Amino acid sequence: MVVSPRMTPELKAILRARFGLDKPLWYQYYLYLSNIVRGDFGTSFYWQGDVFDILKARFLPTVLLFTLGYLMAYALGINLGRIIAWRRGGKLEYGSTVLGLFFYTMPIFWLGLLAIWIFSYKFDLFPVGGMKSPEVWSAAAGVSTLAKILDVAYHLFLPLTVFTVWVFTGSMLLMKNSMLETLREDYIVTARAKGLPEKKIRDHHAARNAMLPVVTALALSMAFSFNGGVLTETTFSWPGLGSALVEASLNYDYPLAQGAFILLAGVVLLAVLCADILYAYLDPRIKY
Amino acid sequence: MKPASHIEVKTKWQRRKERIGNLWSLFKQSKVGVLGIIILAIFFVLALASTIPPKIDDMYIPLYGTDPEIIGFSQPSARHPMGTDFMGRDLFSQLLEGAKWGLAVGITAAAASVIVGTVVGLVSGYFGGTVDTLLQRMADIVLTLPSIPLILVIGAALGRLSIWNIVILIGMLGWPSTSKVIRSQVLSLRERPFIESARISGASDSRIIFRHIAPNVLPLSFLYMTFGVTGAILTEAALSFLGLGDPSTVSWGMMLQWCFTSGYTFKAPFWLLPPGLCITFLALSFYLIGIGTEQIVNPRLRKR
Repeated sequence: MVVSPRMTPELKAILRARFGLDKPLWYQYYLYLSNIVRGDFGTSFYWQGDVFDILKARFLPTVLLFTLGYLMAYALGINLGRIIAWRRGGKLEYGSTVLGLFFYTMPIFWLGLLAIWIFSYKFDLFPVGGMKSPEVWSAAAGVSTLAKILDVAYHLFLPLTVFTVWVFTGSMLLMKNSMLETLREDYIVTARAKGLPEKKIRDHHAARNAMLPVVTALALSMAFSFNGGVLTETTFSWPGLGSALVEASLNYDYPLAQGAFILLAGVVLLAVLCADILYAYLDPRIKY
Repeated sequence: MKPASHIEVKTKWQRRKERIGNLWSLFKQSKVGVLGIIILAIFFVLALASTIPPKIDDMYIPLYGTDPEIIGFSQPSARHPMGTDFMGRDLFSQLLEGAKWGLAVGITAAAASVIVGTVVGLVSGYFGGTVDTLLQRMADIVLTLPSIPLILVIGAALGRLSIWNIVILIGMLGWPSTSKVIRSQVLSLRERPFIESARISGASDSRIIFRHIAPNVLPLSFLYMTFGVTGAILTEAALSFLGLGDPSTVSWGMMLQWCFTSGYTFKAPFWLLPPGLCITFLALSFYLIGIGTEQIVNPRLRKR
């Protein structure tokens, strides 16, 4: 063990009591877990502050970016996917598949760099990164709350667009495939035979059922999409949990990295729960 | 006993050749699958070509080579078709070297995760009961963990990761989806009569699993491997870009990381664009091959 020689015996005793260093390993782990439950994630090596206090400020930006991104991506993906599947077999389907896959397999951080290059560097339309402009948020500026919200929205636009596009391509391709399967079901033929208008068949009979596998995949792929979220945050220096995790890992700041990871995993679980509830709402046959 | 002259007796090789021919004609029906093969072939050529520049001149060695006349960054020139990076190293030979590492990392990591996933799926589906429950709950846990943050935390704890550490980590985190698919196949296969007859003739559990069931799920494993390669390539690129890559390996993600950290991101399009495009196209090619393979593996998707 590495211990500074200047450490006083009193300090050693305090540390030993705090981490239970003279107790068996399982007790140390129990101590760690019970501290986490109480919101005590330890002290950051790098910032010298309480990990939970540092991460508290990082929580909301992540939730904002991910929730908005997901809602927009899935709303767009489901709507466009059903239209593309409806006009199947044409150039639209082939083109959208190849283009969609192109964006789907693109490294999201590189897409982010391209967006910054074009929109921030060449045309100077959006900020390069961050979440707030200091001149708007300083106490001396005295601007209204609305101006502050608009300032965040202005910073949010590029990362949100990149994240949405990346999630959207996946949901669009999935909805298209699911819709193509659904269109071959007998009840679609029945609906046609009844003489229902095309739009009604597409939206009420086919799309409603085709959405179910998409929502299942939404829950299953949540962890995967969070990878993209972490990369988006880092590329745009968005002050969220993901970028906190990356910085902490590169600084070898273990308590902060662990804390950020636990909170991020918590957000994943929460999102999966939301998808499960949504599934029960969409499919009345499912009962929990 | 001689076979009747009008019956053609096929050797093992002829039969095998015929089967591969059949599979290829099925695969050919998928336009995107063929496109994927073509793109992949180009990258294989690039990876093979990566050995050529270092032989021409020492300054084309991707990691150490420096041009005596150019110190630091330079724009494209006759000597350096894509320019040089901040240390004066040739970017084009780095790009070729990246093709080699992209293929190596992608294929080995995906193979590792597919082998683990297939074995877990076979065991879990064949034995059922407690073994199944334990393995599947483990798969559920790994499935809900975001892989890049997890590798970052592990990387921080271990110090520096070598490229093969990264491959192992990607492989160890990628198996659950394969195992779930294989398991569901095994659940239906194990009820078939040929498994029962194997059991009656005294075959052991391991023989039944690996000799009788495994060959039937291998096409599915291959399918998941092609999708796995896409994921592995993107994950390695992301980790390298974040600064957790192996600095002694010239991968495309590393090239982007060097570009980003040395401050040339928006000044050197020949440095920023090619590695990203290469990552995209290599990942895309495996995904397209996967779509083509899906039509062979899943008969429901064939031309209707």
